[in-house]
Amino acid sequence: MQHLNRTVFRQLVSRAIRRDYLENLTGFAWLVIQPLLLLAVYAFVFTTIFKARIVGMDAVGFVPFLAVAFWPWTAFSESILRASSAITSNAALVGKIAFPTELLPISTVAATFLMHMAGYLAVLVVLQLFGAPVHWLGLAAAIPLLLLLSLFACGLALFASALQVFVRDLAQILPPLMTFWFFTTPILYSVDLLPAAWQGVMRLNPMTWYVGRLRDFLLLGEYQLGLSDLVVPLVTLVVFVLSMAFFRRFSTHFEDFL
Amino acid sequence: MEPLIRVNGVSKYYPRVHRPGERLRAFAALLAGREPREGAEVLHDVSLEIFRGQSFGIIGENGAGKSTLLKILTGVLTPSRGRVEVNARVAALLELGAGFQPEFSGIDNVRMKAALLGMGSRRLERKMDEILAFADIGDYVYEPVKHYSSGMVVRLGFAVVAASDPELLITDEVLAVGDESFQKKCVRWIESFLEQGNTLLMVSHSMYLVQKLCQRALWLHQGKPQEIGDVFQVTQSYLAWHEEKNASERRHRREQKGDSGLYRVSGFHLYGNGRESDITLETGDSLDAELTLHSPDGRTPVALIGVMRADGTPVYGVASDFDKRIPEQVDDQTFRFRIRFDRLPLLPGVYSLRGHAMDPEGLRLCDTAEIRFSVAGESREMGMIRLPHRWIGPPDDGES
Repeated sequence: MQHLNRTVFRQLVSRAIRRDYLENLTGFAWLVIQPLLLLAVYAFVFTTIFKARIVGMDAVGFVPFLAVAFWPWTAFSESILRASSAITSNAALVGKIAFPTELLPISTVAATFLMHMAGYLAVLVVLQLFGAPVHWLGLAAAIPLLLLLSLFACGLALFASALQVFVRDLAQILPPLMTFWFFTTPILYSVDLLPAAWQGVMRLNPMTWYVGRLRDFLLLGEYQLGLSDLVVPLVTLVVFVLSMAFFRRFSTHFEDFL
Repeated sequence: MEPLIRVNGVSKYYPRVHRPGERLRAFAALLAGREPREGAEVLHDVSLEIFRGQSFGIIGENGAGKSTLLKILTGVLTPSRGRVEVNARVAALLELGAGFQPEFSGIDNVRMKAALLGMGSRRLERKMDEILAFADIGDYVYEPVKHYSSGMVVRLGFAVVAASDPELLITDEVLAVGDESFQKKCVRWIESFLEQGNTLLMVSHSMYLVQKLCQRALWLHQGKPQEIGDVFQVTQSYLAWHEEKNASERRHRREQKGDSGLYRVSGFHLYGNGRESDITLETGDSLDAELTLHSPDGRTPVALIGVMRADGTPVYGVASDFDKRIPEQVDDQTFRFRIRFDRLPLLPGVYSLRGHAMDPEGLRLCDTAEIRFSVAGESREMGMIRLPHRWIGPPDDGES
């Protein structure tokens, strides 16, 4: 059974990558070009128009500060949005063949992360070429962090994809929710910019911790972790386990509602 | 012996989920841990066991719940009540191209489907040539499946299922799609699959295929098991029920036209092998009938006696004036006709004998009576009657 699931999983991931990213050569190019363009737009708006400066990070510069957080966020957000329709858009498969359907959202998340992490590496190289101080050693710490982030995405994707079978409106609700989450996560700005009271609120957002730690590892070369760094990994695990339980509980009814 | 599949008291409701409000209500019921209240019951209290080597057919009208039962057996659907146990390596071919994604090439879809059927990638590579040879669709395997004809999709789907080496094969009415030669190939494959001691579970409208491939059958009627048991018995009852349903529609139309008359049937009896009541014969038995006609004017009426299948298809009819028979006159107005059919060549099925009263000129049909009887037995012969025949062998050169 485990063996079977591995083969199915591999097939699903390779299929998702080919369909969504590699169906033509330019697909892969766009995977890097599109976020680069978006990054350029943000960089222009924030550094030239708003004259944004990141307190205490002058040495790093705004563009690297943004880029290091922007790619993982894109992978996170895109994987959840894509995976949320993994069950409804595969109704034909779910209704005809018995297999562990949780592989559908999980493989979508895996494919999206794999693709965007390739782009992430390319961007880090570009940043280095433009003289940004990228701490390559930090990559060793960033990789487990990104794996944990993909687990978080899997958890939310499992929940969203199961819920969408029953509540179709989720497809309309989810994109604005993710946009809201994007702006409430310190990706375009630094938490230190905010009044002290708001900083406490921001720390309730697990993504604040993820992007903060990524910057620490990759831009500042700070690897010190405290007890407080256990909270978000724990939250991530709990979200994943609960979502999986929710998914399994309701997956037996998918076919009735598809 | 442990059954391959054991189904115990399975019922299935589909919740009503067409309007968003209904969806939400049904989902709220699920969240609260209840089964949704509104809904249609498509299966009611089905129990069956399928043993190794005892292939099983499921028959019934459209909408009887056959496909729903198959989906429950394959684990795609969860029953609302009851339990299903499956103790076999199952491969299902429920719909043409189930699990095929149209934008991917045939070979990609083969890989995916094989993985879903539990084939590891190394085993698949070993079997790939075999699959492509069985499907026999040439270079089309490299084209996206959306460019396929339905026959090609079935070919590819069946080829993968065949290569996955199942113990129990579940098929819905899928083979009907392929062309003649591919259908034959599939049936041949299924036969050799069965010879190896494997088991088939099929839904089909072809009684011929069901009788050919299965030993036992279930007749589902409006979601309820109507009859379960030996394949010949179940298929015969099903066909008889069908024929009767068609015939009663026709009878209804005839009654509306109205054909009452002067001469009427006052008594009609059947004696199979000399016994009356509950007439069940076997091919080759004899059948006696006694038809009593009432004649208001005392002239001798003509009796017409006919055998027809339960759906009203005439098999044979004969009138007393053809044979110039004079009936026994019981009293002034009553005439009794007796007829015997020796060595009835009817094949197993349900039939009826009709006795008609006609006017003395044999021109006008005045009244009709009908009695049903059945011919029991197992036979794969087709049609209604057994024509005398013998096979002409090759010249026997052993003796000359």
